[in-house]
Amino acid sequence: MSEKIYSLLLRLYPSKFRARYGNEALQLFRDRVRDEKGSFPGIKLWRDLLVDFAISLPGEYMHSRGGLAEGTALYTSNGVPAFHVLDDKRLPTESLVSGTLLTLLALSTFWILLGYGGRAASIVHFRPSSEGRGVGAPGPGAQRIGNEIVPAAPSIEENKRMYPVDDAERRRVVRSAASLVRQYYAEREKAEKTADSLLEHEKNGDDDVLADGHAFAALLTGQMREVSYDRHLTLEYSEEELPPQPAAPDTEGLTRHETSLTNQSCTFERVEILSGNIGYFKLNTFPSASLCGKAAESAMDSLNSARAMVFDLRENHGGDPAMVMLLAAYLFDHPEYMYNPRENTTKQSWTHSPVRGNKLADKPVFILTSASTASAAEHFSYDLKMLKRATIVGERTTGAAHSGVWHRIDDHFGMGVPETKAINPFSMVDWAEVGVEPDAQVKSGEALKAALRMARTTQQEK
Amino acid sequence: MTMPKRKLDPLPASAFQILLALAGEDLHGYGIMRQVSEQTDGRMRLGPGTLYSSIQTLLEAKLIEELEEREDESAMGARRRYYRLTSAGRKLARSEAERLADLLRVARAKKILRGGYV
Repeated sequence: MSEKIYSLLLRLYPSKFRARYGNEALQLFRDRVRDEKGSFPGIKLWRDLLVDFAISLPGEYMHSRGGLAEGTALYTSNGVPAFHVLDDKRLPTESLVSGTLLTLLALSTFWILLGYGGRAASIVHFRPSSEGRGVGAPGPGAQRIGNEIVPAAPSIEENKRMYPVDDAERRRVVRSAASLVRQYYAEREKAEKTADSLLEHEKNGDDDVLADGHAFAALLTGQMREVSYDRHLTLEYSEEELPPQPAAPDTEGLTRHETSLTNQSCTFERVEILSGNIGYFKLNTFPSASLCGKAAESAMDSLNSARAMVFDLRENHGGDPAMVMLLAAYLFDHPEYMYNPRENTTKQSWTHSPVRGNKLADKPVFILTSASTASAAEHFSYDLKMLKRATIVGERTTGAAHSGVWHRIDDHFGMGVPETKAINPFSMVDWAEVGVEPDAQVKSGEALKAALRMARTTQQEK
Repeated sequence: MTMPKRKLDPLPASAFQILLALAGEDLHGYGIMRQVSEQTDGRMRLGPGTLYSSIQTLLEAKLIEELEEREDESAMGARRRYYRLTSAGRKLARSEAERLADLLRVARAKKILRGGYV
C-alpha cells in the first residue's frame, strides 16, 4: 500500500527524472521500509519523504525546463519558417513559493488521509485457487461446482516483502494483457481502446517506475479501467507460481462435491419459523440447483405461511446462480429480471415467477450480510436490494463479482477478462470490489436481532 | 537558450555530504543515504528526491561517476547502480573542507568556538 502511494507520488517528478531515477528512488524507499524499525518508523519515514518532496520537487521542475530547449523550425503554408522560441526567463519566485505551498498542502492532506482514511479503504483481491480451478465464473467448457471460497491475496501492507519485476517481464505482461483483452473482452470497441491504451502507456514509459509485481499489476488494472470503466477487468500478481491454465473439473471431484453437499443437507443450516411467524432461512452456500433444487423447494414450502422472511447469508460465500434464481422466484408474483455480471442476458435472467401455491411474493424480506458474504450471495443481495424487494441488514459484503474468466499470463501474472455482457439496469457499478452496502448497517453478530426487530415493526404497522 | 544550471557554487550541504560519503568507498544510493546519516550523527537523512537530484547535479558536473550496475549482497542480490568520486570531486570536496576549516579558524579567533586545531 505505502509503496503504491510512494510510486504515485514519484509521478509528480518530471518524466526525465523518473525515467532515470524512478526505480532507484523506489528501491531506496523499500530499503528504508525494510530497515527502519522501532517506534513509529512509518511516521518518521513519511515525514522525511514529504519534506523531501517539498524541497526537491520545485528544483527538479526548474531544471527540467531545459528539456524543452530544442527549438523547432516549422514551415508554414507560405513556406516561411516559423521558429518557436522558448522563454529564457527563470520562473518567478512567487510561482516557486506558491508551487511549494501547494505541494505541501496536497501532500499533508494526503498524509492525513493515509492515516485516517486508509483503514476504511480496502481492495479485494482474487486469485485462482490452489486446486487449479479458475476463479469466478467458469469459462466455456468449464463447470461451476457449488460454492468456492477464494482466499483474498494478502495486501501489500500486510506483506512488506517486495516482488521485483524486470523490464522484460513488464513488457511481456503488458503485451499479453493487451492481446488477451483484444481476444476475449466482451465489447469489441472497448477491447480495442483498452488494449491500445495499455500499449500507449508502455510506450510513454508510464510503467517504468514500478518494479514490484503487486504494484505493477495494480497499475495495469488501473490503466485498463480508466478506459473500460469495467471493474471486472483485472490483472493480478501472485507470489506463488500460478497453476497451469485451469481445466474443466474432473468427474471424481464432482462426485465428491455432490456427496459432501448431500451430507451437509445442501448447506441449508436452518430452516424454521421464528416467533412472530417470521421465516428464517440460513443457507451457507447457494448449492447447485440441479442437486439441491428439491431441497430448496421444500425449504421454501415449509416457510410459505410466514409473514416476513429473513435470509441469513452471513456465512454464505457464494455458489450457483441458478439457485439464486430459484429462490428469488418465490419473492415475486411476476417474472423479474435479475442482473448477473457473470452471464449474458438471456431468458434465464428472469425469475420463474409466480411459483405455484407460493404466498411469499408480497411479504417483507430481510437479508443478513457480513463482510464475508460473497459472490452468489452478493448476486442475491444486490439484485433484491436494487429491486427494492429486500432490506439488507448487516455489514458491507465482500465485493466478489468474479465475472472475469481467468487467463494465466505467466508464472506470476494472470488476468480476469469478462467475456459476457450482462445488462445492469440499476446502476453503472455493481458489487465488484465495493460490495453490497446494507440498508441498515449493524455488526454482523447483531444483524439477526436487528432484522427481527424491523420485521416485527413492519408487521405491526400493517 | 542555455539549460538552467544547477548550482554547485556555493556547494549545497547535501552535495558536500555525498562527496564526503563517497570519499571512502563506492556506494549505491541507499548506501550514500546511510553513510551521510552516519557521518552527520543522523541529523541529515537524505530523501530519495534530494538524493537523486544531488546525484544528478554531481554527475553533470563530473564530480562523481556512475559505475556499472552490480549485485548488492546485503539486499537479497538486488542489482544496484554504484557511484564513485572522481578526482575533480575529490578536489572540490577538499577545497570545500578547507573553506570550512578557514571559517572554523575565524570562529575560534573570534572566541565563538573553543577547542584545538582541526
